[in-house]
Amino acid sequence: MSNNYFNTLPLREQLEQLAKCRFMHMNEFTEGVDALKGKKMVIIGCGAQGLNQGLNLRDSGLDVSYTLRQSAIDEKRQSFKNASENGFTVGTYEELIPTADVVLNLTPDKQHTPVVTAVMPLMKQGACLSYSHGFNIVEEGMQIRDDLTVIMVAPKCPGSEVRAEYVRGFGVPTLIAVHEDNDPQSQGLALAKAYAVGTGGHKAGVLMSSFIAEVKSDLMGEQTILCGMLQTGSLLCFDKMIDKGVDPAYASKLIQYGWETITEALKYGGVTNMLDRLSNPAKIKAFDLSETLKDIMRPLYNKHQDDIINGTFSSTMMADWANDDVNLLGWRAETGQTAFEKTPAGEMEISEQEYFDHGILMVAMVKAGVELAFETMTAAGIIADSAYYESLHETPLIANTIARKKLYEMNATISDTAEYGCYLYNHACLPLLSDFMQDIDTDVIGRGLSGDDNGVDNARLIEVNHALRSHPVEAIGATLRGHMADMKKII
Amino acid sequence: MLKLHDLSVEFDEGFQLKHINWQIEQHQHWLITGANGAGKSALAAVLVGYGDILAGHTEGMPVTIGWVSFEAQAELIQAELKKDDADILDVISLGTPVSEIIFTDDIDPLIAKSLIEKFELNYILERAFRKLSTGESRKVMLVRALSCHADLLVLDEPFDGLDRGAHVMLQDHLAEVVQHTPVVMVLNRFDEIPNFISHIAYMEQGELRHQVKRDDAQAFAELYQLLHLKTTDMQVPAADTDKAATELIPQQPLVKLTNISIKHSEMVLIKDLNWTIEPNQHWQLSGPNGSGKTALLSLITGDHPQCYSNDIFVFGYQRGHGESIWQIKQHIGYVSTALQWEYRVGTSLRNVIISGFYDSIGLYSKSSDRQKHIADQWLALLGMHKRGDEPFNKLSYGDQRLLLIARAMVKHPPLLILDEPCLGLDDINRQLVLALIEKICGAKETSVIYVNHHAQDRILGIDHYLALEKSADNR
Repeated sequence: MSNNYFNTLPLREQLEQLAKCRFMHMNEFTEGVDALKGKKMVIIGCGAQGLNQGLNLRDSGLDVSYTLRQSAIDEKRQSFKNASENGFTVGTYEELIPTADVVLNLTPDKQHTPVVTAVMPLMKQGACLSYSHGFNIVEEGMQIRDDLTVIMVAPKCPGSEVRAEYVRGFGVPTLIAVHEDNDPQSQGLALAKAYAVGTGGHKAGVLMSSFIAEVKSDLMGEQTILCGMLQTGSLLCFDKMIDKGVDPAYASKLIQYGWETITEALKYGGVTNMLDRLSNPAKIKAFDLSETLKDIMRPLYNKHQDDIINGTFSSTMMADWANDDVNLLGWRAETGQTAFEKTPAGEMEISEQEYFDHGILMVAMVKAGVELAFETMTAAGIIADSAYYESLHETPLIANTIARKKLYEMNATISDTAEYGCYLYNHACLPLLSDFMQDIDTDVIGRGLSGDDNGVDNARLIEVNHALRSHPVEAIGATLRGHMADMKKII
Repeated sequence: MLKLHDLSVEFDEGFQLKHINWQIEQHQHWLITGANGAGKSALAAVLVGYGDILAGHTEGMPVTIGWVSFEAQAELIQAELKKDDADILDVISLGTPVSEIIFTDDIDPLIAKSLIEKFELNYILERAFRKLSTGESRKVMLVRALSCHADLLVLDEPFDGLDRGAHVMLQDHLAEVVQHTPVVMVLNRFDEIPNFISHIAYMEQGELRHQVKRDDAQAFAELYQLLHLKTTDMQVPAADTDKAATELIPQQPLVKLTNISIKHSEMVLIKDLNWTIEPNQHWQLSGPNGSGKTALLSLITGDHPQCYSNDIFVFGYQRGHGESIWQIKQHIGYVSTALQWEYRVGTSLRNVIISGFYDSIGLYSKSSDRQKHIADQWLALLGMHKRGDEPFNKLSYGDQRLLLIARAMVKHPPLLILDEPCLGLDDINRQLVLALIEKICGAKETSVIYVNHHAQDRILGIDHYLALEKSADNR
């Protein structure tokens, strides 16, 4: 295995790369898909991302075909059916890669090294290799042939949404990057922009980043606030409610749909708006809980960020890959056996507001997780824009997967890399919060505050509101959500 | 109290009321409405005893009726003129004075006198009835009708020709009268409906199509829109010339499908189909469920992935040669139940219409003032004036459908695809949708593909038919 690319760079360049992130203006996309017109795009892999990106690119007038391993074609595996039933040409690496102007590697992280090693010798001189995640380049240090251009185009949504939003005439926010060591013809940016237009991403907003910033922030976000915090929070809140005699069916429903409901408020107006949905006493309660949570969990967030930056996380995970995923599969099975996972949500009606009122602790957990992830990332040199997208912005998307089918669905939807990191977080965070949970009662999870008195102390309320509104994630969030509104997504 | 059982009535001019089933209960006050020529006045006249009954029967017809209508007024004047003609003496006839017309035996003189005061008619009492202005003679008719202790008041456009003061006076007076006398009123305009009206009868082509309770707000609003669409002079708003689609070559067919096949897994849905749609042809596409109607259409719209593996020529593009689906969609307006299901965005009514310029679900582009203006014109046409800022997802199902048709038509596409546009709609909403489609088809050079299950359900103006059958391996 090659060296960790990030660790080979001098500190100056590490910091420069980590700090790369810029929200691109709509008028930077006036050339549309021209840079890819008439070029042959060959996609490796036909899972959800592969298929849906391909459908979009073809509907944008581009020439798309799929290459799969000989065995997938011979056995008519699902990936073969996905591609062929949608009327795409499907061929082996040997048949299609030599004809490709752009090769889109949309296989799972784990397969990148064998896949890229197999296709690179077949690629035409001067062609382009595209990734949707930089793990292979940054963490595994994959060396790409000098004549090839290497870019990244990463839609920040599951594949199904990439397609659904395109069909509606919109797109999903997309991150693009050029691997500067591999841009011999200086055409990387033009190709990445055209690719983003082809999938519809330019309509929803494009972030120009670097391979390094993408990897380091993406890993941090997904394993802490996005997946880890929601998983740990789900298990702790559920067990607490059962322990305190709340109807299990109610508890299950409150959590399964609660994350989605409260983070919808987050999506519209940040942490401030999410807490503003609570009554004044409940808001102060949630604020205090989240401050305590942040104090307890900060060392854990720092450890995750440190392990990601110095490569410990990726080498640990790659060791598990080499060991047939023993840890990953064991933890996955364990998640499937939790009480929350096994208790179906009840049929009772829970109003939108009730999810807030009865889920004060969940609100506090989201706030603590978002702010900690953001603070830790920016402290590590990741620019605020990246940190916002990889924390607050994506939380509602992950919450939505839990609403669909609980933790199982979340872990099935996210990448193996995210899933692995999520379990690491969960195993460390559960014991870390056990003392804290001792003092928790159903007033903050399951039943809500007793509603007799909504009075609060003026000075305390002003203090809390000020603290909420002046957190740096709120400032950058307001700016970036403003860009999105300028894009006229009329919700 | 009063019942019409499956009543068919013929009038002098050959006009017929058909199969009227209607029942007026005590304490109900009805409004009869409908477009011109729908049979509103005829239905009112039946209550008074006009017309030859062809079939059916009546029950509990009132004895004394106070009747005000243009016909009754004309009849009275006609009678006066006849008197004049009949006068063989070589003297100028003065005609019957108003007082004689009013104070007949069946009239309560006290009530009549008070009404004469209220209408300020004292100054004309001694004038000849036939010399009165239209407004004056209308007031005389009203005094007579309201003074006869009627069992039923039949007021056909009673406000016509009244000045403002008389209009208000009459409204106030009626509000008292209705305490003890049922009223049937004919009005063309919904905005004049008095508060006491409790039921509405909607006439169309001599048939009583809808009976709606006033307090059923939903049905009431729909009826209002239907009447508006049937009676408005408004035309379909123009397209946005600033955002015109690319020109088509008139000699080319709009759509040419050659030996089309659609397969799902191993199942063949459509096999070796050829279909050419020339400009200005209207088509009806029919076939049972699962015969592939929607799949076939989605080959044309570019929504079916197999449009790239078939020989498809649409709007000047041979598919699969570098064109984007947005270049195809700019020429198509599309409405279906599935679209309505997908269109679950909380955007405003105005934006839903504007989204038709961009073929998007929701609006993601900055719209121009001209587009907003056009959208507002459409809303006015639909009878949804000033409702542009309301959220789309709060609209009734039928209104949503209307709005999606407006969205499909807003850019005046050369091809409009209506995939079962009435599916899931009740009768009144069906008629609303059909009224809108008629308005659109009457106004434009758009080719229409109309889809439904039944080949026998034929639509006026459609002269080309394609019937799909379930393929052998899809039964």
